[in-house]
Amino acid sequence: MNMAFNEETFRGDFTFRNSPESVRRFPYPFEEDEYMYSVNIEQHTSGEPGSVFEHPIDVDEHYVAECKERAIVLSEDHTRCVALPHMMDAQWDTLELVMTSLSESYPSEFQLTIDGDKWHWVNKPLDIEDHFVFGDVSTLPMEPFEYVMRQVQGDWVIMDQRDDDLYADMGMVTGQADWSVAFDAGMSFKEWHAPVPHAPEMGIFDRALKYLLHLQYGSPVRRTNWRMCVNPRLDTSSETYDVWGTDNVSATKENAGDKVFLRVELQALFRLPRSNAIAFSIRTYMVSLADLATYPRWAKRLNRVLRSLHPDLAEYKGLNSFKQPVLDWLEPLDDGAFLEKGVHPE
Amino acid sequence: MEKGYSITTKPIYGTLIWQKKATHHVVVVGGEGGGKALLKLFQQMVPKQPVSVFYLAEDDASKKYVSTVEDMSGESITVCDSLEALTTSLKTELTNCYMGTQFYVAGEEKLIWPVAKVLTEYGVDDRNIFKEQTGSLARRVFCVHCETINEDVHHNIHQCVNCGLNLFVRDHFSRHWGAYMGFMVDGETPGEIPPAQEVYP
Amino acid sequence: MSALKVKVTAVEQVAEQIKHFTMVAEDGSPLPYFSGGSHVVVSMDIDGRTHRNAYSLMGPTNDNSAYQIAVRKQEKSRGGSVFMHEKVEPGTLLEISMPTNLFSIHRLAKKHILVAGGIGITPFLSQITDLNRLGHDYELHYAYRSAEHAAFRKEIEALCGDKAFFYPENETGRLNITELLSKQPLGSHVYVCGPDPMVNGLELIASELGWPETSVHSEKFLAPATGAPFTVSLLQSNTEVVVPGDLSMLEAMEEAGIDAPYLCRGGACGRCEVEVVECDGDLVHHDEYLSDAERVAANKILPCVSRANCSRMVINL
Repeated sequence: MNMAFNEETFRGDFTFRNSPESVRRFPYPFEEDEYMYSVNIEQHTSGEPGSVFEHPIDVDEHYVAECKERAIVLSEDHTRCVALPHMMDAQWDTLELVMTSLSESYPSEFQLTIDGDKWHWVNKPLDIEDHFVFGDVSTLPMEPFEYVMRQVQGDWVIMDQRDDDLYADMGMVTGQADWSVAFDAGMSFKEWHAPVPHAPEMGIFDRALKYLLHLQYGSPVRRTNWRMCVNPRLDTSSETYDVWGTDNVSATKENAGDKVFLRVELQALFRLPRSNAIAFSIRTYMVSLADLATYPRWAKRLNRVLRSLHPDLAEYKGLNSFKQPVLDWLEPLDDGAFLEKGVHPE
Repeated sequence: MEKGYSITTKPIYGTLIWQKKATHHVVVVGGEGGGKALLKLFQQMVPKQPVSVFYLAEDDASKKYVSTVEDMSGESITVCDSLEALTTSLKTELTNCYMGTQFYVAGEEKLIWPVAKVLTEYGVDDRNIFKEQTGSLARRVFCVHCETINEDVHHNIHQCVNCGLNLFVRDHFSRHWGAYMGFMVDGETPGEIPPAQEVYP
Repeated sequence: MSALKVKVTAVEQVAEQIKHFTMVAEDGSPLPYFSGGSHVVVSMDIDGRTHRNAYSLMGPTNDNSAYQIAVRKQEKSRGGSVFMHEKVEPGTLLEISMPTNLFSIHRLAKKHILVAGGIGITPFLSQITDLNRLGHDYELHYAYRSAEHAAFRKEIEALCGDKAFFYPENETGRLNITELLSKQPLGSHVYVCGPDPMVNGLELIASELGWPETSVHSEKFLAPATGAPFTVSLLQSNTEVVVPGDLSMLEAMEEAGIDAPYLCRGGACGRCEVEVVECDGDLVHHDEYLSDAERVAANKILPCVSRANCSRMVINL
C-alpha cells in the first residue's frame, strides 16, 4: 500500500491540515469527563488496524513534512540533538529498532536488507538510499542516532539505566512542548520531570521509574499525554518561546475552532538489547477543535474535561492563556447529554 | 507559589560534617564564608584519615582564617587566588585520590558547581560530594534561549548578558550546567516585564 | 512474559559439578542480542510441576546464533540444577525468557573490578566481551576452591590476558578484598557474584572504606525460601491457593494457573510485588527490594521469595 504524504508547514503560514482519516484515527486521550494525571502505562501491543497503535512506530500522512520541519529546526539549532559519548551502543540499537520497525510495518515505503553486518536501507518517501556497515560510524553520513532520527516522526529520548535510575543521555527533541533537551541533558528521570507540579504526582514518577527499570526486551509499553496549543506549531521548545509565546494569546472565540489544537503525545518505551538502555518515543498528534468537533462526543467531553481540570494542571499544561476562548467555542456544542466511558469517536 | 511544593532538582545544601567511613578527605572552600565553614568543620574534630584542603581566597579578607585552621588541624592548606588556579591544583590532587575519598565543598554556588563538575569528570560520585552554601545566595542562570551562563544573579528577573531577553529565574536546576534555568518572562506579552525582586542577595 | 523456544545443542562437563549448556532457537532463527551481565529464566517440567531458574548468559554479546549458560549442581537445592544436570541433553527442548539485565556494567565507570566466586564467574564472561569491545579498563578476580572447580579458566585467559587474576583457595589462599578495594582510582566500580558470604563480606568492606553504594554491584540469585505451608487468597481473581512448604508463593500461584507477574524470581527486581490486604500472622520477607519502612508496614510482599508464618493471607491480585 503506497501512502500519500502532505506538503504542509508547522510554522509561518501553518498550512498543516488533517485528512478526515487522520482525524478519525486521532488518539483522543479522554476516557471520562474528568482528567487526572496517572501512570496509565499499558502493553504496546499491536492495536486495531488503521489505528495509531497498529504498528510499533506509526507513520502517517505528515511523515515527510515532519522530517522536513525537523531538518529546519536542526539547521537553526543543532543543540536539539544530544548524544553523550558513552551512548554509542544505544545509537546503533536505536537505528536498528527504527529501521526494522519501519521496514516491517510499511514494506512499500521502507526496505531493509541485512547481510551479516552489511546493511542496505531504502527510504522511498524521503528518497534516501544508503549502504553501511552496522557498528561502523565511518560508513554513515553522520552518527547513527542523528541519521535515523531525521527519518522518523516524534521526539526521542534514550535513557541509560544505571544507579537504579534512568538518565536522559541522548535525545532528538525538535517538536516538544516547552522543555529543553540541552538544559535537561544528563538528568535523571525524576529530575527532568521535576517541573511537573503538585506533590502527589511525584509519587506517580516513583512508581513509573520502578516499573520502567524492569522494562523487558520484546515487551514495549505505551501511554498518552496531552496538551493544547494555538497554531499547529510542532516546535514549542523552551528555546524558541520568544517566537511562539505570542501564539498563546492570539486565540479568540471566533478563531478558536481553526487555531486551537488538541495535542496528544503517544509515548512508547522500548528496551534496547545491546546497551540495555530504554528508548522513549514521544509522538505528537494535533487536531484542530473544528476537526475534533466533527465527532460530537469528542467535543462535548473536551469541554467537560477543561471545565473540571485542576487549576495546577491547567497552569502546568500552559492552558490558562487561551482557556477562555476555547471554552467559549466549545460550550454551544455541549448539550449536557450523558457520555459513556471510552475514547471512541462515535 | 504552591505551599508544600518544592521542585526536586533544586539543590538543598547542608552543613559539612566529617564522614566516618572514609580513607581520605578533600575539602574545597571559597571566600570568607567558606573559611568559616572550614573552621566549623575542624571544630567538630580533626579526622584520623589524611585531609587535603584547598582554599579559594580571591582577596585578603578571605585569607584571614587560613593560618588559624592550619594551626588547629596540623594540615597545610593550598591557597589559590583564582578559580582556574584552584581547579588546576585540585585536578593534580585527584589523580592521586582513591575510592573511599570523601569530598566537601563550601562556598557560593559559583564555586560549588564548577568544583562538583571537575570532581564528577574525574569519576567522583555525587553521593561522595558534600556541599554547604555560604556567603551570597547569588545564582548562576542558564539562558535557555541562547545557552549562555549568566553569573552572580541576585534578582528573580534578569536580563541575559548575551541575547538581551528578560528572563525569569526558575528553580529547575541542572547539575551538568551548574545553573538554574532562565526562561523568557514576557513571551506572551512582549515588553510587559514585572518588577524584579532581589531574592538571591 | 514473552518466551523463547530453544533447543539444547551441546552439554559439556567443564569442572567439578559444573556443566556448560549451549542452546539455539528451536526454529533456527537468530536469538535476540543482549547486554553483558544478562540472564535468562529457564522453565523446567519437574514431576509435572513447572520450575524456573535464572542463569547468566555467558557467551559473547555479539553472538546471536546461540546462548550459553553454566549450571552448578546443588544437591540440596529445590531440583532445578539437578534437573539440568541429569535430564537435559543435546536435543532437549526448553522454554526460556527474553534476556534481562539486572547486573549491567556502569557506562560511566573509569575502571571495572570484577570479583567472582565459583559459579559466580558466569555473568562476567559476557560482561568482559562488552568491556573488551568498548576498550574499558577492568580486572577480573576469580576465586574458587581448587583447580577442579575452576570452570572456564582457559577461556578467561584467552579473553582477558593479564587482566585476570586467579585465586584457587587451596593454593593461594583467600582473595583479600580489603587490599583489593583500598587503592582503586576514583570512578571505579566493583561487581561481585558468588556465594552469599563473599558478596555480603565485600559489600560491608566497601561500605566501611567509603565506597558509595552505587559503585558496588552484586548479583546473587536468592533461592526462594522454604517454610510452613499457608493459604493465599487472591482478592481480584477470587481464588484460594495453598502454598506448600517447598514451593514459593509465586510458584504455588503459577501451579494454580494464575498468571502472576514476575521477572528475576530472586527477590531483587520488585516486578512481582503485590499488596497484602490481610494476614493473620507475620510476613517473612526474604527479598532485597522493599524498604525497611515497607517491610514494617507489612502491606507488600514479593511472592517469588517471601513467605508468611500464618494460616491465611489475602493479596490484591
